[in-house]
Amino acid sequence: MHELGLTRNIVAIVSEHAGARRVRRVRLAIGPWACVEREALSFCFGIAAEGTVLAGAALEFLEAEGDAFLIKDFEVEEAA
Amino acid sequence: MCGTCGCSDPANAVSLTDPESGAQSLLRQRAAPGHAHSHAHGHDHDHDEPHVHGPHGEVISLEQAVLARNDEIAARNRSWFEGRGILALNLVSSPGAGKTTLLERTIEAVAGKIEIAVIEGDQMTANDAERIRAAGARAIQINTGAGCHLEADMVAEAVKKLDPPAGSILMIENVGNLVCPAMFDLGERMKVAVISTPEGEDKPLKYPHMFRAAELVLINKIDLAPHVGFDQARCQENIRSVHPEAAVMALSARTGEGMTDWLAFLRRQRKGAAARA
Repeated sequence: MHELGLTRNIVAIVSEHAGARRVRRVRLAIGPWACVEREALSFCFGIAAEGTVLAGAALEFLEAEGDAFLIKDFEVEEAA
Repeated sequence: MCGTCGCSDPANAVSLTDPESGAQSLLRQRAAPGHAHSHAHGHDHDHDEPHVHGPHGEVISLEQAVLARNDEIAARNRSWFEGRGILALNLVSSPGAGKTTLLERTIEAVAGKIEIAVIEGDQMTANDAERIRAAGARAIQINTGAGCHLEADMVAEAVKKLDPPAGSILMIENVGNLVCPAMFDLGERMKVAVISTPEGEDKPLKYPHMFRAAELVLINKIDLAPHVGFDQARCQENIRSVHPEAAVMALSARTGEGMTDWLAFLRRQRKGAAARA
């Protein structure tokens, strides 16, 4: 239910760290008790990323422990 | 589904109402939440570290909690409460479980002995804050608009207005919802979940995250148990199966049955909070 809000958080945090660089991929680490749904996150991510440096970026998930819900890392496009 | 919930619709505003003065203030326009700068994290490009490359380019490690900003404000709230010996409880339940009635009866029962202040969270209306005020306690209403839960910054703002005295109890009545409030730390000493007998014994199994997060579960409307076919033993078994350490009390805020245990629990917890300050 709150995945859109969480996704906006993710986009805001990554945008800030990415600066002007285009983000190609974001990896989240999610534990079994994190209480978030991956499908809902993926669905919302496309919408939240629109018009930001994250537009078109892939969202990937890594298994984590407990209630962990982290942005593990993100990948930026190499400057040509 | 998040698309219909609208809890992060940028047009959705969160407001705060003081029922005493009727004063209303806008807490926030919920645009994409900014990122707090008060904590240190590696903005600098570290040149001692070799660059890690993925299929697209450089990989930048973050390891940052998605709810870091909320958790930071919650930690600030918690240390403020602890420093003043205030017992802060986060009351969670589905809508209609009887949180507000329980608070009314609790306020009346400890009147003149313990000061209770209340933060009321609802999507709309200041009805609950009015009820609390009529019962004799100070209250601030937070209206979350489309939002489905309270967040730590809302509580921080409400606390500024309420300014609960040292040694008091702060009751935070969350938005009636057994899903989202489980995720958001407000800085409380503990979450107290309320379920009512007409809801059935299997609520803890249907919403395990919430019952895992709650240290105390109150089974309210116990007077209705025989009329709605509520099996208390089975309900307690269900609570134990998702959270073996949770304390459980059965009571009826309406008839007063079982209220003694709850009030004794509050006195004990309040003493503990005062001793830690």
